[in-house]
Amino acid sequence: MIRVANSKCIRHLGRASMNAARGRNIIAILAIALTTVLFTSLFTIALSINDGFQQSNFRQCGGWSHGTFKYLTEEQFGDLKTDPLIREWGLRRFLGMPADIPFHKSHVEVGYSDVTQAHWMYCDPVEGRLPEEGTDEAATDTRVLNLLGVKPELGTKFTVTFQVDGHPTTQTFTLCGWWTYDQAIVASHILIPESRVNAVLEALQVDPSAAADNTGAWNLDVMFQNALHIDRDMEQVLANHGYQSESRAAGDNYIATGVNWGYTGAQLAENIDPATAAAIAAMVLLIIFTGYLIIYNVFQISVTNDIRFYGLLKTIGTTGRQLRRMIRQQAVTLSAAGVPLGLILGWFIGAQLTPIVVARLDGIVSVVSLNPVIFLVSALFSLFTVLLSCRRPGRMAASVPPIEAVRYTEGGTIHRKKRRSSGVSLLSMALANLGRSRGKTIVTVLSLSLAVVLLTVTVTFTNGFDMDKYLANFVSSDFILADAGYFQTGGDAFNSDMAVPQKVIDQVTVQGGIIDGGKVYGLTRAAEEFVDEDYYRSIQSRWNSQEELDRMVSLIERTPDGKMSDHAQLYGMEHFALDRLDVLEGDLSKLYDPGGQYIAAVYNEDDYGRPEMDSHWAQLGDTVTIRYVDEYEYYNPGTGEIYGPYSKVPEGVPWASRATEYRDVNYTVAALVSVPSALSYRYYGSDEFVLNDQTFLRDTGTDTVMLYAFDTTAETNGAMESFLADYTETQNPQFDYESKSTYAVEFDSFRSMFQLCGGILSFIVGLVGVLNFFNAVMTGILTRKREFAVLQSIGMTGSQLKRMLVYEGLLYALGSVAFSLALTLALGPVLNAAMSSMFWFFTYRPTLLPLAIVSPIFALLGITVPLAVYRRAARSTLVERLREAE
Amino acid sequence: MTILETHHLRKIYGAGETEVRALDGVDLSVEKGEFVAVVGTSGSGKSTLLHMLGGLDHPTSGTVTVDGRDLFSLKDEALTIFRRRKIGFVFQSYNLVPVLNVRENIVLPIQLDGGKPDESYVGEIIETLGLGSKLQNLPGNLSGGQQQRVAIARALVSKPAIILADEPTGNLDSVTSQDVMGLLKVTSEKFTQTIVMITHNEEIAQMADRIVRIEDGRIFPSGGTPGTVCAIPSPERNTPQSSSRDTRG
Repeated sequence: MIRVANSKCIRHLGRASMNAARGRNIIAILAIALTTVLFTSLFTIALSINDGFQQSNFRQCGGWSHGTFKYLTEEQFGDLKTDPLIREWGLRRFLGMPADIPFHKSHVEVGYSDVTQAHWMYCDPVEGRLPEEGTDEAATDTRVLNLLGVKPELGTKFTVTFQVDGHPTTQTFTLCGWWTYDQAIVASHILIPESRVNAVLEALQVDPSAAADNTGAWNLDVMFQNALHIDRDMEQVLANHGYQSESRAAGDNYIATGVNWGYTGAQLAENIDPATAAAIAAMVLLIIFTGYLIIYNVFQISVTNDIRFYGLLKTIGTTGRQLRRMIRQQAVTLSAAGVPLGLILGWFIGAQLTPIVVARLDGIVSVVSLNPVIFLVSALFSLFTVLLSCRRPGRMAASVPPIEAVRYTEGGTIHRKKRRSSGVSLLSMALANLGRSRGKTIVTVLSLSLAVVLLTVTVTFTNGFDMDKYLANFVSSDFILADAGYFQTGGDAFNSDMAVPQKVIDQVTVQGGIIDGGKVYGLTRAAEEFVDEDYYRSIQSRWNSQEELDRMVSLIERTPDGKMSDHAQLYGMEHFALDRLDVLEGDLSKLYDPGGQYIAAVYNEDDYGRPEMDSHWAQLGDTVTIRYVDEYEYYNPGTGEIYGPYSKVPEGVPWASRATEYRDVNYTVAALVSVPSALSYRYYGSDEFVLNDQTFLRDTGTDTVMLYAFDTTAETNGAMESFLADYTETQNPQFDYESKSTYAVEFDSFRSMFQLCGGILSFIVGLVGVLNFFNAVMTGILTRKREFAVLQSIGMTGSQLKRMLVYEGLLYALGSVAFSLALTLALGPVLNAAMSSMFWFFTYRPTLLPLAIVSPIFALLGITVPLAVYRRAARSTLVERLREAE
Repeated sequence: MTILETHHLRKIYGAGETEVRALDGVDLSVEKGEFVAVVGTSGSGKSTLLHMLGGLDHPTSGTVTVDGRDLFSLKDEALTIFRRRKIGFVFQSYNLVPVLNVRENIVLPIQLDGGKPDESYVGEIIETLGLGSKLQNLPGNLSGGQQQRVAIARALVSKPAIILADEPTGNLDSVTSQDVMGLLKVTSEKFTQTIVMITHNEEIAQMADRIVRIEDGRIFPSGGTPGTVCAIPSPERNTPQSSSRDTRG
């Protein structure tokens, strides 16, 4: 092949032909910019959420160190921290937690952290500094100070009572620094010097190596080179020093480790499921396709327009390759203008939207990511779309024979040879005109329809969010009043300190407006049931390894007929609560009888309200024996040696327990039920049973009310809400409440987030569609300028011509509406299936409302756009237009 | 009977240094049934003249009267309607509507006018021009000569007072050109159709009843001097349907 230095010449030609097509350029730049906007805004939102998610995970885990080697001795700590894999390390020693008022609703930890570790836990004093060794100083956050009623002034003394390995202690500190409390952070810290930690441990005679919850042990927080494989790095560090984290039983070289699950990078790799990946891929493809539609259309049309010019170039010796290069070069040049515009605009839109999205995602820190990846990837995606889009037009320009190109009109692509009808009307001409370049018509209709379909999906999606379904899952009464601890996830198990006294219930009921209400009693004493080994294993194998399971089974007491004893969780329910149970089998009427010997077995339900029939063993009519245990004895399962009560069990020996003093009561299973989560214990424990409240009081000998649930009249709802808000905030802060309206608000904000995002997405895609439509109409008119002149010269009046063009516009609109309708109807069932499986509170309600709203808009566009464009085209005289091609 | 008459027709483009006198005082009259060829070199003003005659462009001064109506006294819309009833065009590049078939293209002017085509007349035209077998074809599938025949049929269909043909054979080879010219001549005679054709081709022009030369925006009778050009009697004219052959002056 002969190499000729002609690239300069081709570049010049490309530039010259570009300068000649100013209108095309503007549309192309807009199209490219819009596509980039789509990419950028979505990536910005996605990455911002990811960043925010990570940040809030860090706050939830309490920090952003990569991982922790837990509960070390001082020697182990000194040993591990020198490992070369560790880039940076920090020390944390936990001392204790205050749990009494005012700290009962908050997680506060007292302990020592070195400067590095404190920083990793967001403990950065905004005033003052961290405590100095050998002083009585302490630093903490504004929440702790607020709870204590202490002003954030340096030098103020404050006193805290807290539990150190079960021993209460009261300590007074001098405030040496404080920082602002961040709501997203679960735990607040009172940081004290290491010397003070040691002093307290010594005073209370607590040995860190023997303390039950590892009080005072050395925790090594570390940062590695990167967060890509934290788990592996931690294992490696342990291996380097002869430790392992696999088995506690394997010897004394076991060290517990914790990987910070806040690093989504580490998480994503494990957790991404094919469905999510497919959804992300589909989204990206949709955007690429949308972008492709418009950019392709712009270039296709522009090549059609310029085809004579390309033919001319070919007649004077330009090769197809050179033409393709010219078109590509134009595309890249236009991208150079469109992409940055889109990046800026897209980031701006994304940044505006992120906080709104994030506000709806519970507990995610709002950050707007400025990650360069956003811009890089968006730009690449846009460029990819552009290059993809100008491929076909480029091929077309390259392949057209020069002489044909010179004579080329749009009709040249008509493949039909004949046309049957012999009647001509403006409408039939308009219809025929759309058939001229079917590709263009299809692309235009497709891009308009896509926007409609997206909008319909959004509306169907958000409409389908079923508030009743949602509330039914969380709420079974207007209000629930209970101890604050009851509502805390991950808090303590229900115990007698969490009872709701009758006095409190009275204070609430005296407000009036209560239609009905009822108590649910929770069990605060030991009770056991007896199960088959197979059932026990099937339930326990969800959480335990085979090895662990075998060990557990071997330690459990059995009845003479081989059944194993296991903890049972009981509810005592008044009629109000019984009314709200889901009866799966049998009937509850016998449970309404006070003091009856009947019981209901509690089965689990999944999120969709489908009962899991293998989640309990008891069947209708079974006799369930509940053993109310008054005393256990502890013994060594290896030697059989009996220790007596737990406090007599020597340190470091294996032990097991068995009931020695107890009372067995038999009940008949009258019903299989599921308990709404709102009325349940709200944690997974053991097999659960429901008793009549009187039966419960009589047999358990306890009367601890777990919660009081009640309905109010519609008129007094608001008053009760504000009363409870005030009551649990100021009057009796040990208690807390939940109401239907809190969930309703949460639900609404969740829904409006999707509405907003879907709306904006539809709007942008709609804009692309309209732009495409505009482009199609405009080029359709501009390329036919001469033809129109001919038509006018043979007698078509201006108004007839305009009418024909309006028909064309309306036909586009009609086509889009019809296609959208077909697509919507076809997609409905698919959409229903997909969304119902993703969101359990989704109810499919087909709607054509978006289509109904969009149709007149399309019609309006179909009328106005052709008229506006024609006005422009009609500015040149008939003769000018007739001459144009000659 | 004079069917077309121009009076001191002038068209001036630009002004001052760049002023171009495309038409410089043209007086022309054409009788009914006459086939006139306007011959001129490129840039002589012949196309401009044709555009004026068809009411496609406005003159700087002067008048054009077709079938007794002063074209430029009509408003745009009315002019268009007048044009589709009284003037037929045949262009060099045929200018058929690519999405309509042959028949639809032919009857388009009538249908644009909201009228019903006179089927027997249309049939006669189609037969005369030999398009019977092509009626359902789209223009893209016809040869140049065939397309031009469709264009001629389209021009004839509304029985216009005058057909203006702009280099009708410009895109055709010489054999086809002869063929198309023959058809123009035949239709002119058969339907007593007045035709004004512009061309740069002397040989083609020879087939007309009368030749008018145009140069620098002014016209001359064939071989004569500037001035009003009158028809040259054509001894072989044979128009049986015509009742007005004695109006030739």
